[in-house]
Amino acid sequence: MSSSNATRWALAGAATVTVLGVGRVLARRRRRHQPDRVDGWYVVHRGITVDRPVDAVIGFWTDRERLDRGLAEWATLEQLGDNRWRCVASDPAGGGTEWRAEITVDGPGRLSWRVTDGPVAQQGRVELAPAPQDRGTEIRAELRWRSGPVRRALGLAGGGDPDIALRSGLRRIKSLIETGQVLDTRHDPSGRSPKQEQATDRVREKLMAGGRP
Amino acid sequence: MRALCWEGVGRLAVRDVPEPTIRSGGDIIVRVRASSVCGSDLHLINGYLPAMREGDILGHEFMGEVVETGPDVQRIKVGDRVVVGSVVACGGCWYCRTEQYSLCDNSNPQPVFTEKLWGHSPAGILGYSHAAGGYSGSHAEYIRVPFGDVGAFTVPAGVPDDSVVFASDAMPTGWMAADFCGLKGGEVVAVWGAGGVGQMAARSAQILGAERVIVIDRLPERLATAAQRLGVETINYAETDVLEALRELTAGRGPDACIEAVGMESHDVGPTYTYDRAKQTARLQTDRPTSVRQAIMACRKGGTVSIVGVYGGLVDKFPLGAAMNKALVLRMGQMHAQRYIPMLLDRIAIGEIDPGYLATHPMSLEQGARGYEIFQKKEEGCLRTVLHPQAA
Ligand SMILES: NC(=O)c1ccc[n+]([C@@H]2O[C@H](COP(=O)([O-])OP(=O)(O)OC[C@H]3O[C@@H](n4cnc5c(N)ncnc54)[C@H](O)[C@@H]3O)[C@@H](O)[C@H]2O)c1
Ligand SMILES: [Zn+2]
Ligand SMILES: [Zn+2]
Repeated sequence: MSSSNATRWALAGAATVTVLGVGRVLARRRRRHQPDRVDGWYVVHRGITVDRPVDAVIGFWTDRERLDRGLAEWATLEQLGDNRWRCVASDPAGGGTEWRAEITVDGPGRLSWRVTDGPVAQQGRVELAPAPQDRGTEIRAELRWRSGPVRRALGLAGGGDPDIALRSGLRRIKSLIETGQVLDTRHDPSGRSPKQEQATDRVREKLMAGGRP
Repeated sequence: MRALCWEGVGRLAVRDVPEPTIRSGGDIIVRVRASSVCGSDLHLINGYLPAMREGDILGHEFMGEVVETGPDVQRIKVGDRVVVGSVVACGGCWYCRTEQYSLCDNSNPQPVFTEKLWGHSPAGILGYSHAAGGYSGSHAEYIRVPFGDVGAFTVPAGVPDDSVVFASDAMPTGWMAADFCGLKGGEVVAVWGAGGVGQMAARSAQILGAERVIVIDRLPERLATAAQRLGVETINYAETDVLEALRELTAGRGPDACIEAVGMESHDVGPTYTYDRAKQTARLQTDRPTSVRQAIMACRKGGTVSIVGVYGGLVDKFPLGAAMNKALVLRMGQMHAQRYIPMLLDRIAIGEIDPGYLATHPMSLEQGARGYEIFQKKEEGCLRTVLHPQAA
């Protein structure tokens, strides 16, 4: 992989981490089964199919302007060094969550990241593979996280679920690549009072978190 | 602005609501000129499809004038007179690329409900509950339409609003129902339901080559309208044994294709109906599938049963044995609006299909609740009530 490709690809990883970070903030759904544990890490694997060739999936993120616009509603992204990134997620409830991550390009269509500073100890891998039958690209992700004292101290124990965040995140990435936007009906007009609207927004959140097409 | 909102099972009222704004680059805002009721709304209003919230704005079959466009919109311009497909489709996913728009991957922002219920989440639908994305509907002065370039189509000048409005939903649904039948010419097609969807299915089957079309309902006015407007044969199921009659009309073969345009609130005469209603009321089955059962029993061996009536969950006493042993083809689905609308507009423009007669009850938005009551009870020969939000 040429170095410019590698840079682009790292950008894709950064965006992934960003989206996941935001997903974590949004996700509120309880899970019934605990995920597998390996070496003290929770591990989940999730995949999604994007209707674009592998090159296009990577290339989509080349355009920094487009990327920033795509992410604008959720987060800002900043490159700190060769492989170091910082993102600040905008929490819908106000305030922001900050992440720092190291992103390593492992090969063509493969990268991994490690959150060096953030609310959840987390690392992950993403791999792109051509999908059969002209169906585009399979994005396969593995996410590992620890649920330790830090997490509990931050009040995250029963709240955000990285797996749900991963699924939501993959769905958002797919939508951004395929359509350039991610739909949201939260501000559509209704005949509800502000209080009823808040209750409905909580229902909407549940119906959004973790969903896949 | 004024909008017709759902207030609870069986209750509708006009309320003051905020105006919609552009939220995503592909959005357009349409000033609604005509917004029709649809049989699907009845399932929502009556609480058979859950996931409605108090205050939701209904309506998904509509046309109007574009008043604002998002920065990414290219094809559609402010001032265009457009009809909008009820199904929301992104235009960029595999399903959209292969023209299966109602299966779009990216148009339901709230996919968890249907994913749990059905395994996967199909496309969002405007004004169609929080299971279908939670979009505000078209029974309002203005509506936000996402992916405006994909979902809105400029309409031919000279075609009245109350005619072209049906290119949004009833016509593409009817067309898809007939399209599913794979007609080659000369077939006998039976259609259950003489509502807007059934009537458009009957007309579409004729255009696609059916030699005879037989429409089944219990409402004499609707059957008479179908006979007079489309020249179809009719069967009144309240007076006649439908299976016998169809066998008779086809010299024993049964119809080559059977279209079901009734849906989950299917009505019947006799003890099975009482059984179905009781189970549905107790939520032991969510849908009453009377007409689907009949279509399967009536269909000729090796024929096609095409279901466009809407079902939401589980049905009882589904004659799988009949379908299996007669080697039937079953096709079904929410319609792929964007695939058919341009072609249907051409056919309206040359007068090949004239859906205007469906608009039996033009009304103002303020009369909306009454409009639905007339439509639901099928009073005054009502086929469809069409609301005009800009009228006083
Ligand atoms: N697939 C789609 O994309 C799509 C789109 C629009 C509407 N629909 C569905 O199509 C169906 C019909 O819509 P509509 O607007 O014409 O509704 P409608 O209520 O106007 O018409 C339904 C008709 O079915 C008749 N009927 C009831 N029970 C019957 C039976 N057992 N046998 C024969 N006829 C029977 C009724 O008398 C009525 O005339 C609804 O279920 C609606 O949800 C589907
Ligand atoms: Zn409809
Ligand atoms: Zn799509």
